[in-house]
Amino acid sequence: MYELFKNLGDWLTSGEQWAGPDGIATRLAEHLQYSLLATLIAAAIGLPLGLLIGHTGKGAFVAINLSSFGRALPTVGLVVLVFLASGLSMWPVYVALVALAVPAIVTNTYAGMTAVDPDVKDAARGQGMRGHQVLFQVELPLALPLIMTGLRLALIQVVATATIAAYVSFGGLGRYVFDGLAQRDLVQVMGGAVLVAVVAIALDLALSALQRVLFRHRTA
Amino acid sequence: MNRRTLLGGLFAAASVPALSACSSGITSLDSEGTTTSGGGSSKGGLTIGTANFTENQVLGYLYAAVLDAAGVKTTVRPNLGTREILIPAIKGGDIDLLPEYQGALLHYVAPKATATEEGEMQNALTMALPAGLQVLPYGMAEDSDAFAVTRETAEKYGLTSLADLKKQNGKLVIGAAAEVKTRQVGAVGLKDVYGVEFKEFKSLDSSGPLVKGALKKGDVDVANLFTTDTDIQAEGWVVLTDPKNLIPGQHVVPLIADRKADSTVRKALAGLGNALTTADLTELNRQVDKDKKDPEDVARAYAERKGLTATG
Repeated sequence: MYELFKNLGDWLTSGEQWAGPDGIATRLAEHLQYSLLATLIAAAIGLPLGLLIGHTGKGAFVAINLSSFGRALPTVGLVVLVFLASGLSMWPVYVALVALAVPAIVTNTYAGMTAVDPDVKDAARGQGMRGHQVLFQVELPLALPLIMTGLRLALIQVVATATIAAYVSFGGLGRYVFDGLAQRDLVQVMGGAVLVAVVAIALDLALSALQRVLFRHRTA
Repeated sequence: MNRRTLLGGLFAAASVPALSACSSGITSLDSEGTTTSGGGSSKGGLTIGTANFTENQVLGYLYAAVLDAAGVKTTVRPNLGTREILIPAIKGGDIDLLPEYQGALLHYVAPKATATEEGEMQNALTMALPAGLQVLPYGMAEDSDAFAVTRETAEKYGLTSLADLKKQNGKLVIGAAAEVKTRQVGAVGLKDVYGVEFKEFKSLDSSGPLVKGALKKGDVDVANLFTTDTDIQAEGWVVLTDPKNLIPGQHVVPLIADRKADSTVRKALAGLGNALTTADLTELNRQVDKDKKDPEDVARAYAERKGLTATG
């Protein structure tokens, strides 16, 4: 056991392991690229949707259930399905990751919107604010902490699942996990897993720090 | 004394467990030939492990079907992974029996082995296997690795053999399972033996939907498939010949822990090995892959049809 951890330490720290096209630096960059892009796409879909149903109060049932359906889809199955249609491209990976991330964003955005005190909205309308003004100047700022939580959740899920790219021959940190398992190189498997965990935790901490800075005035 | 008992006697004298592989490649074990020094017992039942592809699972369930009929209690643990996981598992006692392939197993336990003929490989395996493990006589069915290209690719680059790939060094993309990248019967051997270098290695699956889908769509030029894959014929893919014998023969062979290898198990598996042909195995694979049947049902139906589950 001790030897395994020692080998793992060597693997993670050797300069050789970090360099080159198969190196950790490249894989890390690929992993971040997949994760951030997928989360951005998911946010572009999920945020407007969550805001719209939260603001109008219409279509909530359909939207929440549809996005929960996306959450329940087995990711590997979805990857293979899209692969059979699209061939070997990044499509299967992004479709699967976006399908995973959208539900967390939609449900949290919607929850944040419904948590806004109806009296506040009434008061805003009473002052003569139009619909979009209520949305952007009253509801959105008040819902923002929950919306941010949704984005954080989505990002962490996506980072942990972006290993799936390796399943269809692409890079990212999943490469170490998949190759290590196939070649029974336990150090490589653990190295990949540890790196994924570190990236997920680091991104979560960064986002929560950002959240604290953004909403400083509220908690004070 | 007939040839079989003579061979059996010779092997027994060399304290090698019964491996009376005759020239036809098929061996039936008569009871006097099976007395082994180890003397295992299958009384407590045995656990069959299988690798992560259809055919190996079908074989695992076939083993289970004939063993159950012989009164041996079996548990099948399907889809455990690759040889790199399975061999340590059988060594460690997590599983007791494994459907294996002669050449691939030999290369795994003895990477420098030169034997390619069935009988030689069987002997080499017996020598090279770690203590506590043995191979039983190999069956008729054979499933070797193949490197295939589409007909269009074959015509475009003039490819008929693995040697032809060298002319296109650095141009072609190969798709195969991740372990093939570091295996002798894979990227390593293609480079050593044929001097072939690919533009890129894409890690996909073992003759499964990913690698075949990628070959069909042209995302990879060369794909590592199994010769018993029904899609090779259906799609008209060209299997590249292997003039330098990189790819060893791959008769199906049971790998078993000594402690479980008693005469009941030997007899049941030998009966299956003598009945199951390559064509049969290809057909069983097709039923699972194409007709989406359950591998266990397919295996049991075959065993019954061939009278392999008749008790006694």
